[in-house]
Amino acid sequence: MELQGKVALVTGGTRGIGRAIAEAFVGEGASVVINGRSAEKGAQALKEMNAGDKVHFLSGDVKSREGCEALVKGTIERYGRIDILVNNAGGATGHAPVVDLEDWAMQDALVWNFWSTFWCTQYALRDMLPRQWGRIINISSVEGKHGKPGVSIYVTAKHAINGFTKSCAQEIGTQGVTINCICPGAIETDIMRDEGPAAAQSMGLTYQGLLDWFASEAAIKRLNTVEEVAVVATLLASEAGGGMTGTMYSVDGGTAAY
Amino acid sequence: MGKLDGKVAAITGGTRSIGRGMAEAFLREGAKVVVNGRDAAKGAQALKEMGGGPSIAFFAGDARAQSTADGIVDFTIEKFGQLDIMCLNSGGVQNTAPVHLMTNEEWQLEMDWNLNSVFWGMRKALNHMIPRQTGRIIVTSSVEGKLGKPGIPGYAASKHAVLGLMKAAAKDVGTLGITVNAILPGLIETDIVRETGPESAKAMGAENYEGLLEMFAQEAAIKRLNTVEEVAAAAVMLASAAASGITGTSWAVDGGTLPY
Repeated sequence: MELQGKVALVTGGTRGIGRAIAEAFVGEGASVVINGRSAEKGAQALKEMNAGDKVHFLSGDVKSREGCEALVKGTIERYGRIDILVNNAGGATGHAPVVDLEDWAMQDALVWNFWSTFWCTQYALRDMLPRQWGRIINISSVEGKHGKPGVSIYVTAKHAINGFTKSCAQEIGTQGVTINCICPGAIETDIMRDEGPAAAQSMGLTYQGLLDWFASEAAIKRLNTVEEVAVVATLLASEAGGGMTGTMYSVDGGTAAY
Repeated sequence: MGKLDGKVAAITGGTRSIGRGMAEAFLREGAKVVVNGRDAAKGAQALKEMGGGPSIAFFAGDARAQSTADGIVDFTIEKFGQLDIMCLNSGGVQNTAPVHLMTNEEWQLEMDWNLNSVFWGMRKALNHMIPRQTGRIIVTSSVEGKLGKPGIPGYAASKHAVLGLMKAAAKDVGTLGITVNAILPGLIETDIVRETGPESAKAMGAENYEGLLEMFAQEAAIKRLNTVEEVAAAAVMLASAAASGITGTSWAVDGGTLPY
């Protein structure tokens, strides 16, 4: 039990990557707050996870400072503090080649992915730094290292998270708090099924063509899985993770060789 | 239930320091482990300290010789029936000198210890793993695999080179159920650093041994050295079944020294 007694908040944790991380953390002994916009999906997730008082759902949208503040405060109210923050919520809509891109799409992608990470991190640090212990794990993407055409809003937002992470790690390095990124390859999660077709269209591909492209770039010639991301999140959240910070860990089957 | 139940690991240079930390962590997670070193007495001592028993064995041999890399694989398969996890961990700074003063012989020793040993062990292990369509190769590189410090050109070059080898091998075997990764630890005050550090310090531009340790600590965001336990935890993760989608990576365990 590597996370016995720890308290974690996973934004966007009802499905996909966040859900797998939440389940892994509960399995290692942590109490976990999951979050999502839909109370109905939250109730469904709690039922499926069947972890009693070890898991709690907070409905809310990370797309505002107040929303992020409420999530961190709600976690502290429920379990007394926050030890582990997983900035997992994110996505993008309104994909288009840069020449045609509309402002709202870029703004929305930055708020959803990057600003939410900044806001939640700031509120979590205010609880972690005085206690000199914390783990912040930002779910970036292989597109935080690479760039694909037609999805610049997502690529830009994920790169921004990586830069933020590196700088923040240097600020807090001696205070027992680490901050890292995980950069997963494509995973066929619910949100990929929801948003993938529009992204593919902006890239001039079919949805299946998009998935095939990601798989063909990887050494393993397949997509990744949520469990592969969760095992890395567990390592980074653990006591032994204290010596790893400011790093972009690839979980991409050998796509980004750096 | 351990994360490595039923698995068999071989670790070059596993009697002390990082390799020893990996061995102990793998044992805790249910694996059988073969460790290696030059000195049979130290090997026997290490087995005793790790509690002995039927899950651990020692293979004597100098990692700078191909016969050791080949031999530990054969020995492991003979002893435990298979090899699932190959940790190519042995290595170090044999000679410190600036490039313009380094001899061919000194250079060759660095290459044999840090690069050729990894190639030999990887080739031998892959020939066993590929027919079984399962395996984990974990190479111990270093922050010096991405950065460079003065006075250790052979070490920096060979630790960079193993990353190229690792990346290419990951692509070779990517669809065969085998992953190939490297861990890049920051400086850890292991036995080998205590032995070779005082001499390295001067060549690397530090005033003394303590200055060398301080130089590495200052480069890290955490302003301290790393620990073998931190490296071992990463090795367990990479060796686990859940890590099947992680390959070709340069896994930093360096407290924020490398910003990439």
